[in-house]
Amino acid sequence: MYRVLLRLLPREFRDRFGADMQQVFAARLREADSAGGRVRVWVHGAGDVLLHGLAERRARRHERPTERSTYVDSLLQDLRLGVRSLLRSPGFALAALITLALGLGATTAVFSVVNALLLRPLPYAAPERLVAVWPEANFNKTMVARVASGVPALESLSGISIWTMTVTGDGGEPAEVEVALVSASHFDVLGVAAARGRTFAPEEGARGRAGVVVLTHDFWMTRYGGDASVLGRSIRLAGADYDERTVIGIMAEGFRPVVNRDLAGWVVLEEPEATTFAGDNTWYVNWRVGRLAAGATLEQATAQLRVVAGSLYADDPGMITEEDVRLASIDPLRDNLVGPLGDTLWLLLGAVALVLLIACANVANLLLARGEHRLRELALRRALGARRGRVARQLLTEAAVLGLAGGGAGVMLAYGLLRIIALGAPPELPHASAITIDARVLLFAFAAALLAALAFGAAPVLRARGAAAADALRQGTRSAAGVRIRPGISSGLVALEIALAVLLVIGSGLMLRTLQQLHHVHPGLDARGVLVLRPAPPDWRYPDAAAMTRFYADVLTRIRALPGVESAAGIQLLPVTPGNWSFPAFPEGHHVPDGGAAPSINFRVVTPGWFETLRIPLLRGRSLEPADRADAPRVAVINRTMAEQFWPGQNPIGRTVRSFSPTASPYTIVGVVGDVHQRALDQPPRPEWYVPQEQLAWEASLFLAVRFRDPDNVIRHAAAIRDAVWSVDRDAPVSGIESLDNVIGRSAATTRFLTFLLVFFAALALTLGAVGVFGVTAWTVARRAPEFGVRLALGASRRHVLATAVLRGITPIAIGLGAGLSAAILATRLLESLLFGVRPADPLTFIAVALLLALVATAALVAPAWRATRIDPLAVLRSD
Amino acid sequence: MNAPDIETLLPLHPLEFRILLVLLDGASHGYRIVQEIESQEDGGRIWPANLYRRIRDLLGKGLIEEAAVPRGEEAGGRRTYVRMSALGRRVAKAEARRLESLVADARARRLLQGRKAQ
Repeated sequence: MYRVLLRLLPREFRDRFGADMQQVFAARLREADSAGGRVRVWVHGAGDVLLHGLAERRARRHERPTERSTYVDSLLQDLRLGVRSLLRSPGFALAALITLALGLGATTAVFSVVNALLLRPLPYAAPERLVAVWPEANFNKTMVARVASGVPALESLSGISIWTMTVTGDGGEPAEVEVALVSASHFDVLGVAAARGRTFAPEEGARGRAGVVVLTHDFWMTRYGGDASVLGRSIRLAGADYDERTVIGIMAEGFRPVVNRDLAGWVVLEEPEATTFAGDNTWYVNWRVGRLAAGATLEQATAQLRVVAGSLYADDPGMITEEDVRLASIDPLRDNLVGPLGDTLWLLLGAVALVLLIACANVANLLLARGEHRLRELALRRALGARRGRVARQLLTEAAVLGLAGGGAGVMLAYGLLRIIALGAPPELPHASAITIDARVLLFAFAAALLAALAFGAAPVLRARGAAAADALRQGTRSAAGVRIRPGISSGLVALEIALAVLLVIGSGLMLRTLQQLHHVHPGLDARGVLVLRPAPPDWRYPDAAAMTRFYADVLTRIRALPGVESAAGIQLLPVTPGNWSFPAFPEGHHVPDGGAAPSINFRVVTPGWFETLRIPLLRGRSLEPADRADAPRVAVINRTMAEQFWPGQNPIGRTVRSFSPTASPYTIVGVVGDVHQRALDQPPRPEWYVPQEQLAWEASLFLAVRFRDPDNVIRHAAAIRDAVWSVDRDAPVSGIESLDNVIGRSAATTRFLTFLLVFFAALALTLGAVGVFGVTAWTVARRAPEFGVRLALGASRRHVLATAVLRGITPIAIGLGAGLSAAILATRLLESLLFGVRPADPLTFIAVALLLALVATAALVAPAWRATRIDPLAVLRSD
Repeated sequence: MNAPDIETLLPLHPLEFRILLVLLDGASHGYRIVQEIESQEDGGRIWPANLYRRIRDLLGKGLIEEAAVPRGEEAGGRRTYVRMSALGRRVAKAEARRLESLVADARARRLLQGRKAQ
């Protein structure tokens, strides 16, 4: 591409020094150590060639004035003329520039996100060979081993599980961090090495040898200040059977883990203890990433996987079903990582493309108006011998200058918009640093700008025919007959703008209604006045369930003693959060059919007082009590959905439930509580059962919920709560202190983010549409001023003139509204999966939007049309 | 052919002077010239078109001439090597003296602090 740029230089110079210049430029590019650096090299390099190319050609023309201009010479001349022409009409240039910048800026910003998530190759070796293995299934470690050995189409496979661990010591505060448990082959699967030290060796997956950790760059910097001596040292990172781990490696800055989390590092998934698939209770290997063997295809790998799945099913039909076997698949990793967010992003890109189209239609109208104003100038040039193609090229070059300037301004605007997007982005979007404006985004922005400007820049000269040009030369500029004008294009563009604006405003209206509906969903509990937190006692001090139970009991006692506290209790997983625990369960009387599997039921571990603290209504029987100790009969409480699903119309009190196996120890149901939304407010509650922490011998950490008598501003109690935990154990990190309202609010984060963007685009579309209508009407009134002057002079009333001007403008608005509403009936089906509590063709939304658009467009029409009534007929007649 | 009057070739463009200074050490190609100049504290960034226009002008004035690839160096691709000509050396000296007298004048007028005697 640099070689193409060199064509701006005269041929002699290029032939003599072109190769050397390319080498110097290539060396400059190699020196750049980041994508941003390379972009800067390109910008400077192109500017250098352009500047000196122009200077060389100017100098040569001065030395050899009779020499025939080359194509590049005349192109550069057109560029100069184009810039001068735009500078002569600063109002027009500014209006067009701002319009293009708004449309291109928004489009570039959204494309940057699409590029980062969907288009840019994943930062691993040969990322197109990386796959997600059986993504719908829950895996234990044995399944990972069976699939790894039974699918030769996969040359390697790694399981991934995300755990929360505590890190203490080293002079820092105890902290809870997220760590990925991965197979020892994980980094080999990805084809990446550590920046310092090394990654895992195969033998470190053996039992007893997994006490090693690879840190992320960010964690190494924040916790250890970038101290290289931490490499090889043992740190207190407690969890998953180890209290300490040796740091063997540190990954490069900016390395992105496969599962998009803020990780502290990676530790090894040890080999399973159990020897059978059914006996292995390690059902937490939630993700699997593999690499296809050379020459293998997804179809081959999927076929082999289904054979393995079939053998697992044959081993123990209770664990997986025939349906699971049939649906087992191996998918490209990227598709799996992005999931449903991918569709949302394409939808956003489509929406912002509509904004860009509206902006282009506005610029087109501006260029058309200006083109007709210059018709006399163009006709004169044709009459003096300029070829049609030459004149057209000049106009196209002017449009290209406008497009490039608009693109540049749009890119600068996009930088600002990306910061706003990063602030409000839902957790599923990658870190803000991964969304950048790289070379592909720049290319997209400029291509879009050029295409838009060029498409409409040539329209004026191509549409003005020869006869019209002759007319322009013969006649004055203000006669009533005037130059032959084609108003249809302008009206058509206005109708297009209105139609596109209708689509966007309806889309944003439907999302606003969805947010409103979500707001009205009752979560099944009372979150007001509740603070949540997560104290995580280190494994090395609390090695068993009894110690954990004592810790939480002590902490809860201290918390309940604080002033203002009404009640407090704990649970292993907060409601209305994306995570879930569900296991095969065997409700009494529920028969598992042949070929079927035990139902997977949501499972919650709680301390006594949980339902009272969250005000989850008790519907039957009793709640869990302090007397439900480890040595007492095993009891459980179920939710209403579970009661209705497994014992419809019956009393479930006294029935039993077993987990994992029909012969496991039973839990007797003592109570039924109301349903709580477990995952998100827009998903219906599923069957769920609760067991006491003490009876399960629960060794992992709990979330605590604390209800205050005064429900206002509960976060002000955070310090007191933290002190209460530390009064029991100073080394227990306390994380996630926030109000339960905040937690529940996050469940709608993606919807809120999408709605915010759509509303912003809709407002932009509405503004641009109104500006378009205003501009075209003002231009039409100005152009028809002589006609209106004559009508007024001949006795027409001002009201008649106003009506004429308004009626003329209202037709394209009405057509646009009709077309937009009709298109919206089909287009809003694309939003169906994102809506909640509102139909895509919701009549209320459609009517409200139609009225809004009609009002705005009419206001934009009437203001300039009113000017037609202020025309002084005498002044008009005198000036002609 | 008459030798050009050196005074008519002065003052040199700052970049041309810097190129001549680099070539005092021997023949060089464009990228090495760029690296040498930029390694100086106030060298700035030099881009290819700017550099080669100056090289072209110096070749045209006869202050530098094309050279063969020095022994021991790889002729990596088509690289143009240049070296200072005898005229170029005289012009570089004249330019250095001109700049020296300007600096002396600036010191005499107390624009710059004088150097302490060693």
